[in-house]
Amino acid sequence: MKNKSDEQLMVLVNRKNRPALEELYDRYIRLIYGFIYKFTDGSEEKTKEIVQLVFLKLWTTKSRYDSTKGSFVNWLLTVTRNVCVDYIRKENLHQKNNRQMDLHGSSEIADPRNEIENSLVLNEISKAKSKLSASQNRLIDLLYWKGYSLAEIAQMENEPIGTVKNRLHQSLKKLKRHLEVGDIR
Amino acid sequence: MKMNCSHLLSYIAEEMNEKDRKLFSEHLKNCRECSREYDQMTEAWNKLKWDFEEKSAPESLKHDVMNFVFNKSQPKNHLLVSWIADLRKQFTPLTAGIALAFAVLSCILILFTIQLKNELAATEEEKLSAEVSGVMLLHSADGAGGMVNPAGGAFILVQGEQRSLVVQLQNLPALQGSEVYQVWLLKDGKRENAGTFKPDEKGGGRLTYSLEETNQFDQIGITKEPDPFSKQPRGKKVVGFIKTL
Repeated sequence: MKNKSDEQLMVLVNRKNRPALEELYDRYIRLIYGFIYKFTDGSEEKTKEIVQLVFLKLWTTKSRYDSTKGSFVNWLLTVTRNVCVDYIRKENLHQKNNRQMDLHGSSEIADPRNEIENSLVLNEISKAKSKLSASQNRLIDLLYWKGYSLAEIAQMENEPIGTVKNRLHQSLKKLKRHLEVGDIR
Repeated sequence: MKMNCSHLLSYIAEEMNEKDRKLFSEHLKNCRECSREYDQMTEAWNKLKWDFEEKSAPESLKHDVMNFVFNKSQPKNHLLVSWIADLRKQFTPLTAGIALAFAVLSCILILFTIQLKNELAATEEEKLSAEVSGVMLLHSADGAGGMVNPAGGAFILVQGEQRSLVVQLQNLPALQGSEVYQVWLLKDGKRENAGTFKPDEKGGGRLTYSLEETNQFDQIGITKEPDPFSKQPRGKKVVGFIKTL
């Protein structure tokens, strides 16, 4: 298993080969765990639940990794984020039924710049994000890392959805300008 | 939903259901403006995922994850477990004891049957392993006293330690009243009784005689006796055999 490529491992996983799934776990658990840990705002309990769901998804998925559409790790993190978003949406729906959401002006979301300052690895995307305005950063975090939809964010920020979309448009273009050419991994 | 350029950001943010995604993909192919914007924005969107740090997971997590995956994805096991649980509910200690006793009894009977079969098979083998050790040659038929000549054969059959003399004859003259044919073992002029027989209606006769170790002979004589109680031949000799082996 150690000599197999990621793509070969995933083919084996599709064929229900358990050692292949365990090998993928060993290779990428730090990556997946770190991603989900950030997504859940550092909740170890939720991270554990979502890690389980991610590996269940890999085990049961009928969609195959296609190496022509990018690196395996990119695909793996996209799968991971989809599971995170599904999980958070279900949880938010549950919370909505219990209490009215009011996140307007909330300071729950830490200033991402503090996180960047504290981290030892200042990677490319972090650098680019540091060039964004506070409202742009907040939008990216709510949308990408908290799993809120554009419509939900518009409601939370008390703004028309068009304004939110426009801000996302500007944010992504600005990020692109500051991202160096080439893949960062 | 009619797809237009206003849906581009929803498309990039992966908020559309599969059907709408397909519709917008079609729009994207035909709209130069959207296509250009998409190319610019999607690269940044795809790199957002790298804005985190790798982190060591707790040691015990792997075990938990694998258990979760393989328990969830194998409902058959759950069925088996619940089936066994249901089955257990059907038995009180008494019925379980009775069932166990029957099970043990069945096992004993099966083992007994197997052993019996093996013994029978061994016996069959012994029977099959019987071999002919001595063949007798028809020697004379001078005293048949009729128009017909008896024909037949005699041999010694060995089965394990058991030796039997087998005599088989055809065309024997019919007997009258208490008359019998008697077989004698001959050795150095001495005669020993080896049994009597009566032929069937067609003149066929057969005799099997268990030989003792003390029975020594090199010829056989068959006489017609007035009754089955002769200690020495009283009637005429009908057939004689000489041992050849």
